[in-house]
Amino acid sequence: MKVKLWGTRGSIPSPGEDTVRYGGNTSCVGVTLSDGSLLALDAGSGIRNLGLALDDEPRRLHILLTHLHLDHIQGLVFFAPAFWPQTELVIWGPASPEASLRDRIARYISAPLSPVEVRELPCDVSFRHCPEAEWEIGPARIRAASVTHRGPTLGYRIDDAGSSLAYIPDHEPALGADLGALPEEWISGFELAREADLLIHDGQYSDEEYPDHLGWGHSALGDTLRFAHRTSARRTVLFHHDPTHSDERLDRLGAEARQRWVELGGEEGAVTVGAEGGELELPVKTPQIAEATAAR
Amino acid sequence: MANVTQSKVTQKPLELILARNLMSSLSTPAFLVDEGGVLVFYNEAAGILLGKRFEELGTVPQREWGALFGPFDGDGEAIPYEELPLVSAVRDGRPAHAEFTVRSADGAEHRVEASAFPILTAHGSRGALAMLWPSDGSLGGRGANGAGPA
Repeated sequence: MKVKLWGTRGSIPSPGEDTVRYGGNTSCVGVTLSDGSLLALDAGSGIRNLGLALDDEPRRLHILLTHLHLDHIQGLVFFAPAFWPQTELVIWGPASPEASLRDRIARYISAPLSPVEVRELPCDVSFRHCPEAEWEIGPARIRAASVTHRGPTLGYRIDDAGSSLAYIPDHEPALGADLGALPEEWISGFELAREADLLIHDGQYSDEEYPDHLGWGHSALGDTLRFAHRTSARRTVLFHHDPTHSDERLDRLGAEARQRWVELGGEEGAVTVGAEGGELELPVKTPQIAEATAAR
Repeated sequence: MANVTQSKVTQKPLELILARNLMSSLSTPAFLVDEGGVLVFYNEAAGILLGKRFEELGTVPQREWGALFGPFDGDGEAIPYEELPLVSAVRDGRPAHAEFTVRSADGAEHRVEASAFPILTAHGSRGALAMLWPSDGSLGGRGANGAGPA
C-alpha cells in the first residue's frame, strides 16, 4: 500500500503562512492498493488536490468516510472525478437511524450550500453503509468499526498484501476511561489498530489543551500515544491537527511526542506528525503480490 | 511496544464501551449485559453491594448473575431470573422496571428499584443496562435532596 496525506488538518481549512509545512487542508488520505486501485479516506478539502492529481481515465473510486462532519466531506463538491461521466464513485460511510447516507450527504450537496445537487453529479455515484463484517475492495480487506467521537463515526482498517493501515482521525478513546488500565476489548478502536503497520490517529490537542475540550471527540497527545502503545501500532502518524496549531507549534508537539514515545518504550522515530503531501509506503509482505507489484 | 494479548478477545461494541465508561462514573449500582445476556460489567457501587469488585469476578454467564444478589420479593420469595428487569430489557428490547429486595455481601437487605433499558443500534441489540435505585437511600450516591442518588 502507498499512502499519501492530502489533508491533515482538523475542524476547518487553515491556510496561511503559519501552516505551510504541515498543511491547511482538512482530512483526506489517498491509499493506493497493491493492484494499483485507489481509495480515499475522508473527503475534506484535501481531496480536491487528490482529484486534480488524477488523469481522466475511466475508473472506480472508493471514498471511505469516517463521519459526516464538514471537515470530512467538504471537498466532495470540488473532487474533479465526481464531475466526469466515466467515473464510478462509491461512497462508504456510517449508518444512522435518522436518514440514509445519501440523504445526509445531500444536505451538504444541495442548495443553498452547494451549486450542484447529488442527482446532478455527472459520475455514477452510489452510497453504501459500511457493514459490520469485514468486506473486500479489490485486493484489500476493509474493516469499519464505530469509535468514540460525536455522532456516528467509524474508524477503518485496511489490510492489503500483508500490511495493515488503521485510520482513526477523530477519536477520543480516553473519554471517561483509563487507557492504561482498561482491558483491551473495552478500548474504543482497539481491534482496528491492533499491531497495525501504520496508525493514522487523532492528535488534535496537547495534554494542556485537552481539559478545555473534554468530550469534543478528539484526543490529547498523551492519550494518542497510550492508545498507540497499547495497540502495539508499529508506526503512528499524528493527524487532524488543531487549526490554531502553527508549524512551529506542531514541531514542538512532534518533538514532545517522539520523546514520550521512547519513554513509553516505543521505537525511536515511530511517531511522526502528519504533513500534507507526505507519502508512506507499507511493505508488501505477501511474496506473490510482491512479485506482481515489482513487475508493474 | 505493549504486550498485546495473543489470543484475541472480541472487541466490545462501542455502545457497550460508552455504557461502561458512563457507569464507571456513577455512584449508583449499575449492571451491563451483552446481547446474549452475559453480565459483562458492573460498577464500583455494584461491587460494594455484591462484596466483590468486577475485576475480581469477571464476566458471569446468563442465568447465573441474578443469584449474585439474590433478589426476592416482599414475601421473601426469590424472583425468577426471567422476571428481572435487565433480563426483560435484553430479551424483549424494551425498558423494564421493578422493585425488589437485594441482599448485600454483609448480609444487610436493601429495598431497591431497578430500571433497565435495552441498548439498541442500527445494527441491532447490543445488550442492556440496569441501574438500581435504593428505595431506602442506603446504597450508593446522593441526590440533590440527599434522599437518593442523582
